[in-house]
Amino acid sequence: MSDTSTVNTESTFKEQQKMAISARNINVVYATPTGDIPAVRNVDIDLPRGSITGIIGESGSGKSTLIMAIMNAVTKPGKITSGSVLLNGENDMLQLSSEKQRKIRGKEIGFVFQAAQNSLNPLRRIGQQILDLGRAHEVHDLRALIKYAKELLIRLGLDADRVLASFQHELSGGMRQRVGIMFSLVLNANIVFLDESTTALDMLSQASVLEIIRELQKEKNLTIAFVSHDIGVIADLSERIEIFYAGEIVEEGKTSEVLASPKHPYTKGLIKAIPKISGDIDAAEPLKGSSPDYRTFKQEGCLFYDRCPIRTDSCRDSRPELNITSGYHKVACFRVDAND
Amino acid sequence: MRSFLIRLVWRIFSGILMVLAVASLTFFLIRLMPGDPVSAQYNQLIMQGMTPVQAENQVKVMYGFIPDEPVGEQFINYIWGLLHFDFGQSISYEGIGVSHIILTAAPWTLILVFTGLIASFLIGVLAGVISAIKRSSPSGTVLTVSGSLLHGVPQFVMGLLLAYLFTALWPILPFGAPYDSSIDPGFNWPFISSLMSHAVLPVVTYALSSYGGWLLTMKSSVITVLGDDFILASEIRGLKSSTIVGYIAHNAILPLFTLFTLSIGFMFGGSVFIENIFDYPGLGNLLLKSIDTRDYPLMSGAFLLITIAVIVANIITDFLYTFVDPRIRR
Repeated sequence: MSDTSTVNTESTFKEQQKMAISARNINVVYATPTGDIPAVRNVDIDLPRGSITGIIGESGSGKSTLIMAIMNAVTKPGKITSGSVLLNGENDMLQLSSEKQRKIRGKEIGFVFQAAQNSLNPLRRIGQQILDLGRAHEVHDLRALIKYAKELLIRLGLDADRVLASFQHELSGGMRQRVGIMFSLVLNANIVFLDESTTALDMLSQASVLEIIRELQKEKNLTIAFVSHDIGVIADLSERIEIFYAGEIVEEGKTSEVLASPKHPYTKGLIKAIPKISGDIDAAEPLKGSSPDYRTFKQEGCLFYDRCPIRTDSCRDSRPELNITSGYHKVACFRVDAND
Repeated sequence: MRSFLIRLVWRIFSGILMVLAVASLTFFLIRLMPGDPVSAQYNQLIMQGMTPVQAENQVKVMYGFIPDEPVGEQFINYIWGLLHFDFGQSISYEGIGVSHIILTAAPWTLILVFTGLIASFLIGVLAGVISAIKRSSPSGTVLTVSGSLLHGVPQFVMGLLLAYLFTALWPILPFGAPYDSSIDPGFNWPFISSLMSHAVLPVVTYALSSYGGWLLTMKSSVITVLGDDFILASEIRGLKSSTIVGYIAHNAILPLFTLFTLSIGFMFGGSVFIENIFDYPGLGNLLLKSIDTRDYPLMSGAFLLITIAVIVANIITDFLYTFVDPRIRR
C-alpha cells in the first residue's frame, strides 16, 4: 500500500474510459430563507458501462437530487455548487452549453421519473409526444421512430397502437409508467436513470417491469442507475450498490458483497430492518432515531452520529471519508477497521 | 356523434328556457325602479291642457299599449311578443322598434369592444407568460405591476388622459364621433380609414385598462403549469424550449378560454364610459340613455341582448372546450 498514489491516478484514468458516467465532488445545496442546506455533499460516483447500479437511501437523503445533478437538471431552489460529471470519459455535463446538454438529455441519457405517471403532456397524444421528442433530437426517420416505439411498447406488454393514439388520462398508472420507460429508451439512450420508477406499482407489475428492464439492459448493454428506497428491488436488480445517507455515500461496492457483509452501521441497520417473509415479525429491528433533517445536514462530524450504535466521541469531530476495505468495497466509517 | 347532437339540442333548449327566465326577472326588476315614463308623459300632456281622457288616448296612440294595463297582462304580452321575436317599441325614440335601435347601435360596440377585447387578451396573455417565466427578475415584476396599476385606473380617467395626450397636447388622432362626419358612410377607403383612426383611442383605452386582468390570470396559470411534473420531464427529455413553451401555453391558457368566451358574451353590455367619452353611439350609451328616460322596452331589450349573448357564449364555450381539452371529451 506504499506507492498506490501514482498507480491510482493511472488506473483512475483507465477506469474513466470504461465509465459511462464518472462524477466527482458533486455538491448541491438548496437555498432556504435560513441559509443554504447541503443536499448532496462531496459525492463521487462512477457508473461503469453496461452495469446496473442501485442507489439506496431514505426519503430526503438526496438520492434523486444526485441523479438530477448528474444531468445538470437540479431545479430551483437547488443549486450545484461544485463538481464535474464526465460522460463516456469526455464531455463534462456541468460545463457544456445548454444546447449541447439538451441534446444529450433524452438522446444519450434516458430518464424515468419518480412521478412517471405525470410525466406526459395531458393535452397531446402519446404518439404526438414521441414525434415532438424525435424532432427535438433531429431524428430524420420519424416513421422508424414510431415503429421502434411500438416495438418497445409491445415488449412492455402494452397494446401499442392504442397507447400511441391515447391521451395520458386514458391510460392507467402502470401503463403510464411503462410509457415513461419507453420514452427513456426510444432514442436508444445508452444510459438510463430510473428514479423510484417502480415505486408506484403493485408487486406484480413491479416484478414484470423490472424483468423487462433487466432484459433490455442485457440486450443493449445499457448502463443503468436505479434509485430506490426499496432494498429488495435493488438487491434483485443491481450489480453495484451505493448506500446514501444525508447527502453522502456511506458505503458502496458489489451488491452481493455489501448485502452479505455490510460494514457501515447504517447499512447494517437497514438490512436488519427488513422483515423476513418467514419467522417472527419482531425479528425485524427498526432503525433507531429519526430520519436526517435539515439540522443533520448541517452538523459537524459524522452525519450518522445521532443514530449510530457504535459511535465514539471522536466521531463528532470530523467527517469520515469513503475508504476501501476490500476490493471495490468502500465504507465511510471511523469504526469499521476497528470493528472488522 | 349522435350523443353530441342530443347534447347540443338539450343545451339549446335549456338555453332558451334560461333566456325566458332572465327576461321575466328583468321585466319585473325594471318596473320596480322608481319613476314611470308613461305617468311622466301623461302628466306633461295634462299640463299642456289636455283633458285626462284625451291625454290617456294620446299616450295610448304614442306607445301602442295601454298604460294602465295590469302588470300581469303586460308581462304576458311581453313574453308572447318575445316568442315572436317582437321586442316592443321604444318609448324615448317614439314608435321605433327596440330591435331596430339595438341593431343600429350594436356594430359600434362590436368595433370598439371586440377589437379592444381581442387586443387586451393578446397583450395580457403574452405579458402573463413573460411575467410568469421572468417572475423573479425586475422586468417580470414591472410587467405585473403595470398590469395591476393600469387595471386600477378607471376607464374614464384613462380615456380622458389619452384623449388629452393625443388630441390636445400632441394632436395626431381625432377625438369624438365614430367617424369624420364630412365623409359619406359606405364601403370605401376614406370612410374605413376614418373609422379606424377614430377607433384607435377608444380601443387603446379599453385594452390598456383591461389587459391587467388577463395578465394576472395567465401569470398564475402559467406558474401552476410550470410546477407540473411533465414540464420538468420535457426538459429532461431534451425537448426544444420552443416546444416546451408551447406545452406550457396550451396547458395554461385553458382556464382563460372560458373567461374569454364569457367576456365576449358580456361585450354586448358595451363599455359605458368609453362610449360616453368618445361619443360612440353604441350599446353602452344606449343602455345609459334608456335608464335615464325609464324606457322600459329598450332597457329590457338591451338586457335581453346581453343575456342571450352570455348564454350563447356559454354554450359555444362548452362545446369548443371539448376540442381544446381532450380530458373533457366523453
